[in-house]
Amino acid sequence: MASYKNPQLRDKLASEYVLGTLRGQARARFQSLLKYDATLRQLVAEWEQKLTPLAAAAGDIEPHARVWRKIAARISGSAKAGWWANLALWRGLTVATTALTLALGVFIGSRPAPEPPMGMVAVMSDERAQPAMVVSWPPQKAARDAHIRVKLIQDHPTMAANTSWELWMLPGGKAAPVSLGLVGLEENQILKLRPEHAGMMSKAWGVALSIEPAGGSPTGAPTGPMIFKGQCVKVI
Amino acid sequence: MSQDPQTRTAESNARLAALLTQCALRNQQAFADLYRATAAKLFGVTLRILRREDWAEEVLQESYVNIWNHAADYAVQKSAPLTWMTSIARNRSLDWLRRPRQENSGAEYEIAVESWQDEAPGPLEQLMRADAAGALADCLGTLDSRQRQTIVLAFFHGLSHSELAAHLQQPLGTIKTWVRRGLERLKNCLASA
Repeated sequence: MASYKNPQLRDKLASEYVLGTLRGQARARFQSLLKYDATLRQLVAEWEQKLTPLAAAAGDIEPHARVWRKIAARISGSAKAGWWANLALWRGLTVATTALTLALGVFIGSRPAPEPPMGMVAVMSDERAQPAMVVSWPPQKAARDAHIRVKLIQDHPTMAANTSWELWMLPGGKAAPVSLGLVGLEENQILKLRPEHAGMMSKAWGVALSIEPAGGSPTGAPTGPMIFKGQCVKVI
Repeated sequence: MSQDPQTRTAESNARLAALLTQCALRNQQAFADLYRATAAKLFGVTLRILRREDWAEEVLQESYVNIWNHAADYAVQKSAPLTWMTSIARNRSLDWLRRPRQENSGAEYEIAVESWQDEAPGPLEQLMRADAAGALADCLGTLDSRQRQTIVLAFFHGLSHSELAAHLQQPLGTIKTWVRRGLERLKNCLASA
């Protein structure tokens, strides 16, 4: 049997997959390979870019209105779940880009939010620059019950025995990090914000997570490595 | 409006990409706008492959639900928004053809494969006139006409090797060779374009 490692065969399979002539079992096998083979996915993407302009020439055909009604009915449930719950969204973001800032700003400004108001958000990345954690907090004026929402988005987070994760606010400049509390491994967590910190949060530059001895830093300053880090983005 | 085609394409891509970002943020209005802007294009794609209106509608529905669910993934893709969306619709259509047929009736929905003559005004000619497809159209033009015909038929109508063989009345091995050589030449031509 031919090897899937052969570059010519890989290119031939990718091209025929995109063209549509790869069928039946061969197509199913190729699709399961795609899941685990990033370079094969890249080959497919390249062929899609080559051939898809053909589709533009096919001519438009307006679908019946019932199609949209069915689609709208199917997605309305997931829309109610809200964007904070959307793990795929946060994992898809490598950094809090300008585009995201704009999108969040426009989005939150444009509709009544079913979620608690969010003043700032930071998408924190791990050392491989992969999104690992998102934190957000409400704007100051809404901060009667100030809290920080933490969402762990790393695939398989692990915490070494006898250690704790501590979340820090980085005020920017030369100011020292401020401890916001300890974070666990649950996907969604809420940290109460101390009143003396609430006022500083709207000017935060970034947030970071460090590994500390069990129970948190004994000194009040980070002592272990900062494993996640992210810059704050104002959304309101 | 005297914009050149490239500027127009870039603007339309930027708009669709912005709508996809909004979809990732679960903005249903943006999704409705995205659907309005692209549904006719994608329905054309699915209907030509599936050749039955009820199936094409079903697959179009699946495709958009998929686009909505995976809009966040688009952020990390490097392809143009319409390329990404078209590929989803094409893959869903081709996957549908692999399913066991639930029903045999429904012949009234069937739409014949255009009896497609290489010379007749068809998709290829439209492509030649299309704004964005310059290099691809040029390269298709350099193919042997039989290679071009098999590739265009396979792409537009989702014909398999054996369907192509039946439609073009050629042995299966010949069809496979035309497809393979056609794709190779297309690749080399596009690489040097």
